[in-house]
Amino acid sequence: MTAVEERQPDLPVISDAHGNHDAHTGSTNAKLAMWLFLSSDCLFFGAFISTFLLYRDRPGQEGPTPGDLFDIPFTSVTSFILLMSSLTMVLALAAIQRGDMRRFRVWIIATVLFGVTFIGGQIFEFTEFSREGLNIDTSLFGSSFFVLTGLHGAHVTAGIIWLLSLWGLSMQEHMGQGDAERVEIAGLYWHFVDVVWIVIFTVVYLVPT
Amino acid sequence: MSNEGTAEGTVATRTGASVSEQPGRQESDLERLEEMIPESALRHAPGLLPGEVKAHPDPLQYVVVAVVLVVITGLEIGVSYLEGSIPNGLIIALLLVMAFVKFFLVASWYMHLRTDQPVFRRFFVIGTIAAILLYAIVLLTLHVSF
Repeated sequence: MTAVEERQPDLPVISDAHGNHDAHTGSTNAKLAMWLFLSSDCLFFGAFISTFLLYRDRPGQEGPTPGDLFDIPFTSVTSFILLMSSLTMVLALAAIQRGDMRRFRVWIIATVLFGVTFIGGQIFEFTEFSREGLNIDTSLFGSSFFVLTGLHGAHVTAGIIWLLSLWGLSMQEHMGQGDAERVEIAGLYWHFVDVVWIVIFTVVYLVPT
Repeated sequence: MSNEGTAEGTVATRTGASVSEQPGRQESDLERLEEMIPESALRHAPGLLPGEVKAHPDPLQYVVVAVVLVVITGLEIGVSYLEGSIPNGLIIALLLVMAFVKFFLVASWYMHLRTDQPVFRRFFVIGTIAAILLYAIVLLTLHVSF
């Protein structure tokens, strides 16, 4: 088998009429598709972050303000947890690339647990805000805050389900070292969720109003 | 899969019945294809995933990046408590710079943009710049300021 066949057995190499425009990226379609999705998801979150900044300080709004509600130490802890989940995710990828399936399962389930803890923290925060009088229909600030952070939470939840499915497959021994790219693609999604939170944490919680 | 010919505008495949029936031609086709593929795409040593140009960092490097991320997060939180002590503009600038550094570290080290094919970096940079432009256009159009 040549280097070309070994690298990408199922992808065609495409050239134009002059044979000088190779569209091959050296990657699989799945990885390329994930990067394209993440690129478009940047715009998706960009729209909601813009909306939040637009509505946060609009005068004449009812209900509590960000200054009344945000508990920075608590949110810092949940942010730390999400950052650590990115570390465990890359350690899971490194483990499966080495063929160490036992460590892969440990790191992937640790990532899931960090993700679940983050979501638990978000639910707790939403409940507290609701108790203090901020709901999705209270004000423009409330609507834009809950939609933005809720959509991020939905992304994290989808990531948890994805990682759990990988963990389940590995427990049934349906995954091995050859499936490292599947883990890498799931990891790309997970890290993206992390970088989006890096922006949300700064722009929504830390930037002074 | 089939080889759809070798005329101009071809879509050549590496496998397929029509090719395998002509072993000599298959070999020359593959040699030609290898010449056409960018060199960076062929640097695929054992242990590398498809699309990687260089090997991923080792676990210790991942841990070092995590420590840096935690330290920057601590600094961010500290800076946010300086509200009232230093101008808000300076706080916002510091927070945005630190968020950018964290974003860059995760994208380049954990998402492997520094070791993968440059095409992925281009996709992500385009998406990120487009999102920032969206911010700027919306916020400037509607005269919103921090």
